[in-house]
Amino acid sequence: MSVILDDVLCTLQEEQTRLKMKLQELQKLRRELRDSTKDKVPFPMPEVPLVFRGHTEESQEVPKYLFSNLQMCCPLPGSSALVTFDDPKVAEQVLRKKVHKIDMEECRLLVEVQPLELPSMTTIQVSNQPDGQRVLVSGIPSGLELKEEELLDKLEIFFGKARNGGGDVETRELLQGSVMLGFAKEEVAQNLCQIGQFRVSLGGQQVTLKVSPYVSGKIQKAEIKCQPVARSVLVVNIPDVLDSQELHDILEIHFQKPTRGGGEVEDLTVVPPGQQGLAVFTSESP
Amino acid sequence: MEDNGHNTFWTKYLNKQLMKDEKNKESTDEIQRENMKLREEIQKLEEEIQEATRDFQIKEDIPEAQMKFTSVKKSKNNSEVLNASCSFQVSSQIFYELQRGQALITFEEEEVAQQVIAIGRHYVKIGDVNLEVIAQQVPLNTGVRFQVHVDVSKMKIRVTEIPDELPEDQMRDKLELSFCKSRLGGGEVECVHYDKQSHSAVITFVEAGVADRILKKKDYPLTINQKCHRVTVAPFIEKHLKKYQIFSGVSQKTVLLTGLEGIQMDEEMVEDLVSIHFQRVKNGGGEVDVVKCSLAQPYVAYFEE
Repeated sequence: MSVILDDVLCTLQEEQTRLKMKLQELQKLRRELRDSTKDKVPFPMPEVPLVFRGHTEESQEVPKYLFSNLQMCCPLPGSSALVTFDDPKVAEQVLRKKVHKIDMEECRLLVEVQPLELPSMTTIQVSNQPDGQRVLVSGIPSGLELKEEELLDKLEIFFGKARNGGGDVETRELLQGSVMLGFAKEEVAQNLCQIGQFRVSLGGQQVTLKVSPYVSGKIQKAEIKCQPVARSVLVVNIPDVLDSQELHDILEIHFQKPTRGGGEVEDLTVVPPGQQGLAVFTSESP
Repeated sequence: MEDNGHNTFWTKYLNKQLMKDEKNKESTDEIQRENMKLREEIQKLEEEIQEATRDFQIKEDIPEAQMKFTSVKKSKNNSEVLNASCSFQVSSQIFYELQRGQALITFEEEEVAQQVIAIGRHYVKIGDVNLEVIAQQVPLNTGVRFQVHVDVSKMKIRVTEIPDELPEDQMRDKLELSFCKSRLGGGEVECVHYDKQSHSAVITFVEAGVADRILKKKDYPLTINQKCHRVTVAPFIEKHLKKYQIFSGVSQKTVLLTGLEGIQMDEEMVEDLVSIHFQRVKNGGGEVDVVKCSLAQPYVAYFEE
């Protein structure tokens, strides 16, 4: 019996060695695949200098993307006012009454109150899309004293000339440290990539620029939902009887009154009749 | 007497065998369990790798954020059509998986970092040992970054599930007639783009507010030859990407150190010793910003701009 057990033990141990080897291979493959874009993009990419400042995490579950610079805008009609309260509960309470009666010295102002809704994206799916008409121009030195428009103009002029190997430029965009140019003809883009390097005069110096194929991105799927703003309320259909400054003060007094369901007002902006406004909101967290 | 001795010998032998068998059985059970765990891990990894080898794709849930009022831009131009919009930046997190026995050191000056890498082999005193530590470039992954822009029109709506009963021209007229009726919630129509093939249309109104009013409900009555059809209405949303850029991260001030395996010391102590060593100009170093060492467990180290 012990001989058979010995055999079984041996087989199991061999199997474990095999399994451990396979596991190591797969772990190595997964590490390499983290650079999967390198395989699909076999040409030099612009380099972005990065630095380690001490931020580490223990888990292997790394969030792959950072979302930042969130901004939402909402148009405001004329004859309206945007009131932002300190406390979201006050906004909620103000919205319970659709019509507000604002007392003034000789009369009453009847205005409507509604919530403000902002569009936001909840999920997104993006994939790479090679674009035969576009190229990436890189190697632009960082210390150049050129403004965005000037730089784009100079590059469009240079790469627009047939004698430089270029052609009609349809689109252009400044990226970080590089520029994207889109040409009317695919052959022009391909030709420029083949040539690869160009000596261009920029900001008084001779600079060597590299041209490579540009990979664009495409939104495959996105879900968008509208969410109301927590602390703000839109006052609409304000009768045109007061000038902006007076109206501003009267509205602020009314909406600060706790007896009227109001509270501390953080901001109040009036949009006069005949004008339009665009309210800008940014993310609360840094 | 001999029998007894023989018996004792055999008993001892059999007992030994029994104990050996029991131990073997325990071992086989343990190894079987370990093998099962290994097989599970392998399956998980294989699935992960399959996912990753599909075309480079980003599929993410976007974290919700509380919005706060910033400002109002005013324009006297009433004909300028304003949309409700949303925009944000997406960037890849670039990181390095710091393995056991490795450390990352960030210098204040790029030249110092490059010099440390050029020297390559360094001898750092850790405890009583002069440890050979190799300095090299940090290999960083490639990333992508772009801006996302979403515009929700205040003047247009998207209509779908339009019945395929009339020729294009006539259906366009029917759509305009239904959507301009204010008693139904509609308003003056600027234009109608009707696509018979997809049973859908985009309707642009002359005044702001009509679209919002109609969109309070999910459908709208479309009258064709005295029959009423309910068509679906939804906001007209345009989304696009800007400044799409694939890039490779390159570390100029941070250096990877290897050769710190098996040190029986506190990670923090080792970090201090490494920092002190590389602060000295005679060691080829200079001002040190940050040191992070991995001894007992791996870390994920984030790289920022």
